[in-house]
Amino acid sequence: MKNKIRRYLFIAMLFFFLPAIFFSTAKADVRLVPADKIKYPPLKFSIQLAERIELENGIVVFYMSDREVPLVSISATIRAGSIYDPPQKEGLAQLTAYLLRTGGTAGIKSAELDRRLDFLAASPYFSTSSENVSVDFSFLKSDMDECLHLLSEMMRKPAFEKEKIQLGLSQKLEELRRIEDNPQSLAFREFNRLLYPDDPRGRYATPASIKNIARADLISFHSEYYFPANLVMAVSGDLSRREAIEAVQKHFGSWFSPRPADAPAPPPMKEADGLFFIDKPLSQATLISGEFAASHNDPDFYAFSILDFIIGSGGFPSRIFSAVRNNEGLAYSAGSFYRARSGYGVFGTYAFTKTASTLRAGGMINDILRDAASGSIKQDELDWAKKSLLNALIFSFETPHRIAARQMVIEFEKLPADYLTSYARKIEEVTLADLKRVARKYLKQNKRMTLILGDTQNFGPIPDDWGKPVFIQPLSKDKN
Amino acid sequence: MRIPNKLAALIVGLLLTVSAVPARAVDLEKRVIRTKLDNGLTVLMLERKFSPTVSLYIRYRVGAVDEVKGQTGAAHFLEHMMFKGTTTIGAIDYQQEKDLLARIEQTGSKLDQEKMKGDQTQTDKVDKLVARLQKLQAEHRRHYRSNEIDRLYTENGATGMNAATGQDITSYYVSLPANKIELWARIESDRLMNPVFREFYTERDVVMEEKRQRTETSPKGRLYEAFMSAAYKVHPYGMPILGTTEDLTFISQDALRHIHKKYLNPNNIVIAVVGDINPDATLELIERYFGKLPKSDVPPVEITPEPPQKKERSIEVEFDANPSVIIGFHKPAPPAFDDYVFEVLEILLTKGRTSRLYAKLVLDGQIAESVSAYNGLPASRYPNLFAFFAAPRHPHTNDELIAAIFQEIENLKTQLVTDEELTRAKNQMKMAYLKGLNTNSDLASTLSYYELLLGDYRYFSRYTQQIDKITAADIQRAAVKYLTTQNRTVAVLKKPAAQKTDEIRNEK
Repeated sequence: MKNKIRRYLFIAMLFFFLPAIFFSTAKADVRLVPADKIKYPPLKFSIQLAERIELENGIVVFYMSDREVPLVSISATIRAGSIYDPPQKEGLAQLTAYLLRTGGTAGIKSAELDRRLDFLAASPYFSTSSENVSVDFSFLKSDMDECLHLLSEMMRKPAFEKEKIQLGLSQKLEELRRIEDNPQSLAFREFNRLLYPDDPRGRYATPASIKNIARADLISFHSEYYFPANLVMAVSGDLSRREAIEAVQKHFGSWFSPRPADAPAPPPMKEADGLFFIDKPLSQATLISGEFAASHNDPDFYAFSILDFIIGSGGFPSRIFSAVRNNEGLAYSAGSFYRARSGYGVFGTYAFTKTASTLRAGGMINDILRDAASGSIKQDELDWAKKSLLNALIFSFETPHRIAARQMVIEFEKLPADYLTSYARKIEEVTLADLKRVARKYLKQNKRMTLILGDTQNFGPIPDDWGKPVFIQPLSKDKN
Repeated sequence: MRIPNKLAALIVGLLLTVSAVPARAVDLEKRVIRTKLDNGLTVLMLERKFSPTVSLYIRYRVGAVDEVKGQTGAAHFLEHMMFKGTTTIGAIDYQQEKDLLARIEQTGSKLDQEKMKGDQTQTDKVDKLVARLQKLQAEHRRHYRSNEIDRLYTENGATGMNAATGQDITSYYVSLPANKIELWARIESDRLMNPVFREFYTERDVVMEEKRQRTETSPKGRLYEAFMSAAYKVHPYGMPILGTTEDLTFISQDALRHIHKKYLNPNNIVIAVVGDINPDATLELIERYFGKLPKSDVPPVEITPEPPQKKERSIEVEFDANPSVIIGFHKPAPPAFDDYVFEVLEILLTKGRTSRLYAKLVLDGQIAESVSAYNGLPASRYPNLFAFFAAPRHPHTNDELIAAIFQEIENLKTQLVTDEELTRAKNQMKMAYLKGLNTNSDLASTLSYYELLLGDYRYFSRYTQQIDKITAADIQRAAVKYLTTQNRTVAVLKKPAAQKTDEIRNEK
């Protein structure tokens, strides 16, 4: 070790005294093209889109062919997410989706369904988020008829077998017991509760609400939210357009309902105000802050996406990452997130840092946001963000199913039909003045709702301008 | 930057209900172009045209097992430092910077040495050294640009850029627009041959935070670490990839250099390029940037093997969290025939709702919240483990769950698995294989992994044929041979005694 340091010093001095040698030695490296000066051949790229097909019963399907492997993939998104949970029965939407897959159908017992699917090595994956339920299913082309038959039975004629409901409820209770084992999951759930205080998006399942759910609730939830106009599909793979239409028509074409799609109301966008603490004596604290921002269909969406990229989602050079992680070594994970949906958008920040540096990391993030809100974003940051977003755009079109599924979501979110084709131009058009304007408009100048989970007794003195923290109890896992 | 991704998920492969995988799906051997540069570096290329993108992997047969005792975490930390730039990336005037870097290292080492004295540490000395170090770091900051590698990749459209350190292998990977391959070659060859360890001491703090995030505050992370250290007493597989907290706290740049030196052997490097490429031009480019790495005849270092386990090991981890268990058994690594047997067994026992353990413990017995089998922990260059991860469902206990798993293991020894189970497992494996052919990045990952691990990517393309040979009798024989009491390590997570009483009080 010591020898090595001495050698470094020696070489440094040598170069200092003998600049001529330095130049000739350095030349070997100079032959390398500077990484910023590499000349690239032009990229030939034209956007290929999936075809939009509307069945008679109102189901919209995006189709694209993909002949490389003998597989077919189908995805669906349904307006049946947890925002539709009735009060006191939180968890119903998720349990319904779970039972569609596991609770048998009118014609096929659950055990038989599992057996057939496992033999086909294909299982539809149902997942529930606040706004929607997604289904993803891939199978061999040769098994398409049987697989779509099973999927259609599950989505249209669920049996909700009693023992499987019991199993689903018990598994959900166990999941609730285990949320507290993961500080990040726990913190993000509690963050959402603070973000949406008077809104279904902020209501979560509890042991009590789970125990309130009966078979009749599942049946009525299914008939209320699962119908053709309430879903959009994507189909891709080793099949022709005609085969795709015939297959979907055969299994979903007789599903009629006069009802138009649900149109969920956006949240009231009045997050709880102030600083919140959850006491959990761990060596690392979880900090999350958040506020409402431009919705996906707002013209400000493009400028705000760039702003978020610069503040904390654009990797190492983004402001939060480079300050909190790179320059100060305070966190492995730190940055920002921007989730835009039709009707509303959420912008937030996060950092996981050791107890002793909790307030320091939080202070740095506050400073970064205050600074951005006051108009400090620079032209070179804008150029870098634009270039990054535009150059990466082709990855949205990397596989046929990704394209079809992307269009499915755009249709579902009721975004303009030219959303994908106009995205690049709209990003390109964002100016520095736009960025400053949206930063001022959406980022709060001073306090934003902030939640910190950690060893609160050892955070140290809280700066005066942070306000007094309110201690909150996580949603109970035990009571009732 | 990450811990190893679960490769096994990608590679499980084949055997359909009846016939073989369709020709176009298995034509890998005709389509993959395998070349060795003059210096011994291996390049795999596969042309796929759907989108004008390319996925690039460079893997080094260097990992945590190559660390020196007392320097655990060096391989992973080095991987972080490889993002700090090179003598020509991020440098403003490298020759000036070099002097500063040396002074920073010297000061930082002195500071570490003082702190290592524990009770004897003189705080005034520490304060002085901290002040000097901060001053040097501040001055250094004027002499380089931070995060240049990330900036270059990101603004040129990179996605999925990351790196992963495993016990055996360290990997750097990225997907780029197809016209930007030269940027990748420029960055990767340069950080291989001319890396500069900027921001060492702040990055060490980052790694400590990573350790807190993944292990210290995570019951699963803690249990896994304890399990591994119980299962391996001699072989380095027992040490955590992130390093022990004790080693990490004062780890030196020399520890990282020791690992980096091993990168510089072309025999230890495999590159895979999958996507919309012109193979000739791509190879020419790789030759131009990587061909200058000198040949090496350094033989691989011998690592003392883990002696056969003589009796059962069990370990308890106390943590304020819900109970869970890990159970593991030593077994041979691929390409041993018995490894294929365990590949099948993993799927047969826990993949899908009708798999044996899932059906018995989660669906029917309802004593488990989850159960999964995993073949090939923690890596595959040396004999490894077949393991079970499981969590009981309240009010059932770890003990009940362990007893139930042991019972199922005994059943494997006394009764043959059914044809239906075997076929179902093979169907699942074939489907996973087909799905693994879907994206450029999955293909680049899998091809480079097997080429580096076993010297031949065709382990992957021929996997189906091997799996097809596995019989019920093979499974029974392997269960009798390996899944024994004396070969077993059991790790359980439970609440500390005091916490338990607390919990009871709360519930009342």
